[in-house]
Amino acid sequence: MAEPVAVVRDVEVAFAGRRSLLDVLRFRPAPPIRAVDSVSFAVAPGEVLAIVGESGSGKTTTANLLLGLLPPSAGHVELDGRDVARLGRRELARLRRSVQMIFQDPYESLNPRMRVADVVAEPLRVHRVLGSDAEVRERVREALGEAGMTPVDAYLHRLPFELSGGQRQRVAIAAALALRPKLLVADEPVSMLDVSIRADILNLLRALADEHDIAVVMITHDLSTVAAYADRIAVMYLGRIVEQGEARAVLSDPQHPYTRALRSVVPVPDPAARRVPQVLSGEMPDPSRIPSGCRFHPRCPLAFDRCRVEDPPLFEAGPGHAAACLLVEGAPAAKDVRD
Amino acid sequence: MTAVVQATAPPTAPIAGTRRWRAALRRPMGLIGGGMLLVAVLTAIAAPLLAPYDPYAPVRVTIFDIFQAPSAAHPLGTDDGGKDVLSSLIYGARVSLIVGFSAATITTVVGGLIGIVAGYRGGRIGIGLMSITDFFLVIPEIALQIVIVAIAGQSLVNIILVIGLLGWATTARLVRSQTLSVRERKFVHRARAIGARDAHILRRHVVPAVLPLMIANTVLVISLAILSESTLAFIGLGDPTVISWGQMLNFAFNRGAISAGAWWALIPPGLAIVWVVLGTTLLGTALEDALNPRLKRHHLEKDRSVAVPRSRLPLERHVGGTPSTVLAVRDLAIEFDSPSGPLRAVDGVSFDLRRGETLGLVGESGCGKTTTILGLLRLLPPGGRIVGGSVRYGDDDLLQLDSAEMREVRWSRLSLVFQGAMNALNPVRPVGDQVAEAIRVHERGIGRRGASRRAGELLERVGIGRGRYGDYPHTYSGGMRQRAMIALALACRPDVVMADEPTTALDVMIQAQILELLAELGREMGMSVILVTHDLGVVAQTCDRVVVMYGGRVAEEADAARLFADPQHPYTQRLLASFPDIAHPERRLQGIPGSPPRLDDMPTGCPFHPRCPLAFERCPTEVPPPFDLGDGRRAACFLVEPDRG
Amino acid sequence: MSGRGRYLLGKAAWAAVVVFVVISFNFFLFRVLPGDPAKAGARDPRLSPASIVALTERFGLDKPVFLNLEDGASPFDSQYFAYLGALSRGDLGMSYAFRDEPVADLLGEALVNTIWLILPAQVLAILFGTALGLLAAWRRGTALDVVSLTVSLFLWSLPTFFLAILLLVFGSSYLDLPTAGKVTIGAQYASFWEELGDILRHLAMPTLAFTLVLLGEYMLIMRSSVLDVFSEDYILTAKAKGLSTFRIIRDHAVRNAMLPMVTLIALNLAFTVSGAIQVEQVFSWPGIGDLTVEAISQRDYPVLQGAFILIAVAVVIANFVADLVYGWLDPRVTHA
Repeated sequence: MAEPVAVVRDVEVAFAGRRSLLDVLRFRPAPPIRAVDSVSFAVAPGEVLAIVGESGSGKTTTANLLLGLLPPSAGHVELDGRDVARLGRRELARLRRSVQMIFQDPYESLNPRMRVADVVAEPLRVHRVLGSDAEVRERVREALGEAGMTPVDAYLHRLPFELSGGQRQRVAIAAALALRPKLLVADEPVSMLDVSIRADILNLLRALADEHDIAVVMITHDLSTVAAYADRIAVMYLGRIVEQGEARAVLSDPQHPYTRALRSVVPVPDPAARRVPQVLSGEMPDPSRIPSGCRFHPRCPLAFDRCRVEDPPLFEAGPGHAAACLLVEGAPAAKDVRD
Repeated sequence: MTAVVQATAPPTAPIAGTRRWRAALRRPMGLIGGGMLLVAVLTAIAAPLLAPYDPYAPVRVTIFDIFQAPSAAHPLGTDDGGKDVLSSLIYGARVSLIVGFSAATITTVVGGLIGIVAGYRGGRIGIGLMSITDFFLVIPEIALQIVIVAIAGQSLVNIILVIGLLGWATTARLVRSQTLSVRERKFVHRARAIGARDAHILRRHVVPAVLPLMIANTVLVISLAILSESTLAFIGLGDPTVISWGQMLNFAFNRGAISAGAWWALIPPGLAIVWVVLGTTLLGTALEDALNPRLKRHHLEKDRSVAVPRSRLPLERHVGGTPSTVLAVRDLAIEFDSPSGPLRAVDGVSFDLRRGETLGLVGESGCGKTTTILGLLRLLPPGGRIVGGSVRYGDDDLLQLDSAEMREVRWSRLSLVFQGAMNALNPVRPVGDQVAEAIRVHERGIGRRGASRRAGELLERVGIGRGRYGDYPHTYSGGMRQRAMIALALACRPDVVMADEPTTALDVMIQAQILELLAELGREMGMSVILVTHDLGVVAQTCDRVVVMYGGRVAEEADAARLFADPQHPYTQRLLASFPDIAHPERRLQGIPGSPPRLDDMPTGCPFHPRCPLAFERCPTEVPPPFDLGDGRRAACFLVEPDRG
Repeated sequence: MSGRGRYLLGKAAWAAVVVFVVISFNFFLFRVLPGDPAKAGARDPRLSPASIVALTERFGLDKPVFLNLEDGASPFDSQYFAYLGALSRGDLGMSYAFRDEPVADLLGEALVNTIWLILPAQVLAILFGTALGLLAAWRRGTALDVVSLTVSLFLWSLPTFFLAILLLVFGSSYLDLPTAGKVTIGAQYASFWEELGDILRHLAMPTLAFTLVLLGEYMLIMRSSVLDVFSEDYILTAKAKGLSTFRIIRDHAVRNAMLPMVTLIALNLAFTVSGAIQVEQVFSWPGIGDLTVEAISQRDYPVLQGAFILIAVAVVIANFVADLVYGWLDPRVTHA
């Protein structure tokens, strides 16, 4: 396998929590909230990695780590083989060109005052990568073409409100492509779009990975999409990756009880295949109140005594498949995230 | 239901462009205000040409010159110093406008800068700046103005500085809150993710978004500054070397104009102030309105939402429901007002809801699902109107009831679970009270205690627990709020519950919990459920029958099993082909080209024809009626027309 | 600690900080600005020699301004701390113009009169303003709405003193109401009721002027606030629940619509102060405003200073009260 574009190794992100008045009076520091805790993964060129989890699971924090918008409190983030923390400001800016983001809401993520051409040209201007205006214009057309906004001339001077949701998301993708990134981070790229539009946008992302060797990290909660489009999957719960591996393998035979529950509640568009979903009760706790032992044990239908005290690491559950559950206990999963 | 309005109303104009400014001037308010201000400005500029005398020239005055009544020589008489009132009035415009414009400029620049920095930076600098702003907001401006002018001296420059520099806090507060909200907009996040620096983000994204409102605010600040100047002048703190309206009033009032009956020395300067202040206020308000257009309509307008002719036929004959039918909708047609005339949002929708069944109402955004169910309860958003059809419930046509009868039916027979439970619950009332309220409205005899006991039981039943009866909605999580909404919907044990995308914006697991709860309670109470959703997976898992809508019409109706196994309408077919199935990850998904039609751009003929791969000559010209395919199955497509052979 | 306690404590602490800063600001303002009225004051020819000595003593005018850094002296033996000390005893100094009268006494008497004026006018304006605003919003676009909107905008644009002058002329010419003061000069009253009647006759037009000035603004705020609330989703929920329009307004709209009202009334207290000064001056009503204007023309700095502190502190307290009301109306702000 090729050198990974991005490697995240044992990363932890902690925020200062809210201090109570009592804490303030006693000069106690705010309790840390661990949004992300010992997370490791890598993504290779041409690969689509899906990060799955509920809100508060640390998905978005992970995305911000990859974008260099957030420094890890511990661990390393490597982009293109270089540790982000060790880079100077200038080098970091260069490196950040190679990671671009696609946001969830195409209605909100484009400035309503900027024309399509300006939206796509903005990253080029911010990073001053191209000298002449003619070059910028050429690259903008190229990027719009790659994102499927053809004929390009018909769209260059439109304002966002003149476009449909799907077209707006294509413009956002074109803007991300303008800098020729190596990694695209897509945060729920289709959840705000109409059902009939989603497949085309996802097909586009898949094609960018396949044909342009771009690595894609797709943050989503929709497991059906993951099964159809992602190569690998990482399931997050309360800041931890609880299961990861090859997407279809994990989804056809999930090992962690949380993944199993998630898998079981995915509605299948087939009335003949109605199953009783295994609905977990309760809600994911606040990241400021992480349960002892296995953080999933209070909601786990299979929890037993040890779960309350032992915090399970990722165990190997198959080739390239790992799950953090005492029930699959065996060999610890390979620590080298590059395999 | 802002979503309804967005989905159904034609798109609003862009925030960008000079269009907004022109829009402001087109409003009568803006036009009148702008005109009044223009007159004042021209008067000030042309003062030497217009004024019959030079009020600054020294004059020798005798006792007979004082408070002379209007005459040919002095159209507005003379004042306490024997000077021509009209001339002073004309020259006074200069002072008012100079003070107004300069002070407002100072205010806007200082307040704008502080507001933008405080809003954009956050952190210590932001908090520090905001504390200073809050401090100056609390200190009464006039008191400070008086003290400073009294001590520092009554020159025009001092007055301008004092008014300008003391007024910035209000502007800073406004600009800060604007900046804060712009900073949290997704397009700013995107710029940051691109790697843009603060300078770029401020220049390209924040300032252009904040500036228009700042300009509108400046216009309003001008009027405040003019008022402040005249007040200072009136209480004796004006610049004695210049003539201003406030000072004219001060002198006239304190030097006997009233006892002399010299109304001409009092009324004109007063009206002049009103003229300028009203002009700027009108213009500023019009600008603000144009930049921040409010919904013109609200939910409590006089109910004009039903414009259906009185039905002449007995119900039984024109509605062909079976005995098990709870609700029979026939030819429902709904329109929305728009600047370009009424737009059809729902057109000829018919379906039956049977007792105890769950009916899925499926389609993309803007296809009329939500409008349809709101129409059934006659709860259309303002500007919406039912223009035809019937909704039979029991022996009644809901569209023929008067509003008191309709109130009786609402909630006790047909209730709703709204999409965004956060906004659907009143934020300042405890959740339990809101449930109990519904019970008390419809069960008069139950009493306060009985209603709250029932509400408590319901909260318990939906998994919230009685202990949270007295808590407010904002303390609930998203999932809890939706549970509360379900408790509320079931409070009066209705026959029909309509749930509008009840799980949108909820996490998958919570989604599953809510759907399970709804299904369970539906079974338990023998209710019929209409589930509005775009998620075909949810439909397949929970619905008995499905109505697929497109472009405000029913495209297809069938049993769930048949619809998924053998879709007849090309739209249904394409929709299914675009929907992922976790059980078949290898299947290549295909989107439908184009996008759903907008109300103001509805295609002729079959609404789906521009996106339909199978469209032929008839499709753009003729509207296909729903063809009956037997066993309660219908599809509105010429391809399935029975006679076609 | 509960959210509510935290909220209250925070607001009270903020009010205390603002009061302290206002007091200090007041001290330095009168010394920093050209003319140094404090020193000039001690030479004011209108004061008796004894008063000048007392003044120099009381305010330590022969001492350093902020901190006393001389050897052996207490660092707090300075003008600033002397001022704080005097203030804490309620001592605001002597008036220059009113023959050695203590400023505190002058202000105390004036304050009572101002409250006579402000309170009824505020209450009337809030009642009628909110009611009109509510009606106008509910019947948006009707004649009622257009008329009340126009009248409100006009009232808002009318300088308070001008409106007061018009009412003064109207009241004295057509209603035979007195034009100045609180009581008829030289009048002898047979009973308390007779005296009260006389005061009320004097108060009628000032109160009306003040009410009208505030009314327009409150109506405009309430109207836009109610319009916002009326298009909220929870109003639709209430309607769907089968509530009558009256109940929806009473139980679901008014409280929410009052929230911005409370904030804006508090924010516009400066407007109230300014209005009071103008109304008092036109009607020669012996309140704080009248006293302030008098002090300006007499360059009576101690009174001006005292009035400034009094007004600022009153507004800070009123703001604090508004915060309390807001916290009571809106459960969200007290949620930690």
